[in-house]
Amino acid sequence: MNTRSVARYEGILKVTGDARYEGEIVPDGTLHATLIESPVACGELLSLDTSRTAAFPGFAVMVSHADAASLKPSAATALIREKAIHFHGQPVALVAAGTLAEAREAARAIQVATTTRPAVTDIGQAAGSAYTPAMVGRFPAVTRRGDSSKALSEAELVIRNRYTTGVNNHHPMEPHAVVCWWEGSRAVVHTSTQAIFGTRAIIAHAFDIPATDVRVLARFLGGGFGCKGQLWWPWMFWAMLASRKANRPVRLELSRAQMFTLVGRRQQTEQDLTLGFVAGRLTAIEHDVVAQTSTHAEFSDSTAVYTRLLYACPNVSTRHQLVPTNEPHPIPMRAPGTAPGTFALESAMDEAAELIGIDPLELRMRNFADQDQETGRPWSSNSLLECYRAGAERFGWAHRHARSATKVGRWKIGSGMATTLYPAIRQACRARVSLRVDGSLLVQCGTQDMGSGTYTALGQIAADALGVPMEKVTVELGDTLLPDGPFSGGSQVTASILPAVEVATSKLRATLASIAVADATSPLGGKPPQDLELRDETIRSRTSNAGEPLVDVLARAAPDGLEAEGESPATNHQELAATGMGYGAIFVEIGVDPELGEIRVRRVCGAFAAGRIVNPLLARGQYIGGLVGGIGMALHEETVTDRPTGCIIGKSLTDYLVPVHADMPEFDIIMIEETDPHLPGGVKGIGMLGTAGIQAAIANAVYDAIGKRVRKLPIRIEDCL
Amino acid sequence: MSTHTNTDAAGSRNAGNPIVEQRIALAMTINGERYDLKVMPTATLLDVIRDELGLTGAKKGCDMGGCGACTVLVAGRRIASCLALAASFSEADVTTIEGVGSADRLHPMQAAFMRHDALQCGYCTPGQILSAIALLSENPRSIEEIREGMSGNLCRCGAYTNIIAAIAEVAGR
Ligand code: FES
Ligand code: FES
Repeated sequence: MNTRSVARYEGILKVTGDARYEGEIVPDGTLHATLIESPVACGELLSLDTSRTAAFPGFAVMVSHADAASLKPSAATALIREKAIHFHGQPVALVAAGTLAEAREAARAIQVATTTRPAVTDIGQAAGSAYTPAMVGRFPAVTRRGDSSKALSEAELVIRNRYTTGVNNHHPMEPHAVVCWWEGSRAVVHTSTQAIFGTRAIIAHAFDIPATDVRVLARFLGGGFGCKGQLWWPWMFWAMLASRKANRPVRLELSRAQMFTLVGRRQQTEQDLTLGFVAGRLTAIEHDVVAQTSTHAEFSDSTAVYTRLLYACPNVSTRHQLVPTNEPHPIPMRAPGTAPGTFALESAMDEAAELIGIDPLELRMRNFADQDQETGRPWSSNSLLECYRAGAERFGWAHRHARSATKVGRWKIGSGMATTLYPAIRQACRARVSLRVDGSLLVQCGTQDMGSGTYTALGQIAADALGVPMEKVTVELGDTLLPDGPFSGGSQVTASILPAVEVATSKLRATLASIAVADATSPLGGKPPQDLELRDETIRSRTSNAGEPLVDVLARAAPDGLEAEGESPATNHQELAATGMGYGAIFVEIGVDPELGEIRVRRVCGAFAAGRIVNPLLARGQYIGGLVGGIGMALHEETVTDRPTGCIIGKSLTDYLVPVHADMPEFDIIMIEETDPHLPGGVKGIGMLGTAGIQAAIANAVYDAIGKRVRKLPIRIEDCL
Repeated sequence: MSTHTNTDAAGSRNAGNPIVEQRIALAMTINGERYDLKVMPTATLLDVIRDELGLTGAKKGCDMGGCGACTVLVAGRRIASCLALAASFSEADVTTIEGVGSADRLHPMQAAFMRHDALQCGYCTPGQILSAIALLSENPRSIEEIREGMSGNLCRCGAYTNIIAAIAEVAGR
């Protein structure tokens, strides 16, 4: 397959407004739903008095925990089956009516009675209840390699600091929405999910019906970044129950304010990190993380996991602990684990470099890990050193001191750099490719396109393999009637679909070749099949000028067209011969106004190595989008809880700052192509790489500019004064 | 020019409903077509366009004026339609993304967005395009002014750089 910058497949639908997002599918007779929220952060629901609602025009139905009692218990339904109130704003009921305005009016007339218990609204308030979870994702929560305390006692230099990161919310521009209805015992669910098959599975389980009786659709997603995974908005089940109760389609769309409370968040962390060095080499690392989880479920990011393997170091101890609070539940968000984890580690490396007296880039190169430090396995491929070199050269790292702390206008200039990484993993995937007799191609896979270019990648991989132009390709995704595809998360989709589509297209190529050579009247008749290739809609001989248009071969021998399915397995972590990891080096130049404390990112140069790049145009956009998310985490975004009430303060996009056009620096993206013999398809994920590392690079640049070391995120004006 | 109304569906659904009586009759032009409407006094222009007329190109990102996803043009000027009460737009000339261009006749700004891949998930895109079209009629003098002038249109996917490249190309910069 070639690397090619083809235009975004579905772009035309998006620039014309013709793309229909699932919440915009509204059949006649649809009821509109709203949620009633708990006014307390901790307690129990006593009653919902609906005596006044019946008189409200348009009111159709109310659903609460009582209705959800009919659902099978599971982690996905726990919150909606209970009377317990775990956080401020937790929905206690759903009200559906003819219009949204009517639903809101009716909801206001319902009297909610609750008990109130003292709420824990700050991890500091409940430090004593910190506990160690069994696992953080697929990794152990606690690890110990060598003897870090002994090594620290023998180290020439020890750096010990606390780094903290704030709560972030994902805030895709499209709020979560569901439009659902029942056709007899079968459910049809249009919803903005990053995981249609996962969503189908939890619905089937909850309603105790076969998965084949549930159809979930998500053909367009207005972003997700982790908050549209399958488990994180159980109120979708209430909408389904309301639809069954009223026997009408129900539509529920969350408000922007609810996007702060109901669909997860990046958890707050407090990280104690200690590094020990001898002769500029890491001899010991201790990384202890305390993070927030909710009182109703457990989640820990893999914050310290990457500290175990980013650098060569014989003595490493890491530990994750959680403190449950009456705040919304955390879930993965853009660069989960790597973003907060590299903030601590890559800030500390910068601090160490200064004390040792060497260039921070040189310190990193000196401590390069030439194999997976945890398992001892080789890397499937690793071009981190090349990222350092290429990025430093393009950025002009060697000459940065000439500018450091100098002033350009009102800005004091500073430079910083950091490393980013993300594991290369694949999920199981099936895909179907059909070649129609007119030479057009249909590619089908039940995955989603969050905006990351999955439509384009699916079409492009199949088109290239069969020598068909993109204009003749139709791609279908986002429907559980299609072959099972991967969920959109963890930067895994392209890596997962590519091998499956390649299996399907190679079957088609083999069939076409054998048809062509078997026909004596074809110019290709009698040629060895392995001599043939597909290019420019023609089956050609590689060794002679003979060739025949694809449509002629199809018309003669396959008038109904040809179809093939491909399948590829998930990464088997137990049996890997080599560890797959994508890397990058991020260099930033910032300006700080010393009078106002204002920080501007001026230039970002990111050099990334993530295997094979399918579409450089889209890949570049993904990297920049990731970096923009990282800038948000570094300088803007923070969700704040009002500690006395547990209420989130300022639940709007005017209070929760995110990067805007005016914040944009100049971006220079370098993509270092790798040939990876161990990964099927050779693709590593790219989406997460930009969102980690940049936070530390910015903090390091702030230090370079004004000599202030900020060990907390976001870095705000008040931190620079 | 054909005439449309929004009361057929909504009116029959709410027959006898006192809320219908409160509706305010007005007419406006949307994408060159005249609409005779009966709107709730509390309805926003966005809700009327999106929910009652089915023109879903205008998006609801926040419903509070904070994101720009709902941007439409009124007499060529951009407004956040989530902050606009429909009832105060009698006889207004409204343009939504559906009226800017179509797949076979793209507006130059839409074509530039395609060429520069100025979008990812696409949810902010209609608002960005309408805002950009209006901004150029405000004669920005530099890329900085374009950036500043576009800063009410959030893009959570972070497609900003390509969006500015697309606008700059159309602006001839
Ligand atoms: S929806 Fe109008 S500004 Fe966000
Ligand atoms: S393209 Fe997704 S929000 Fe802009």
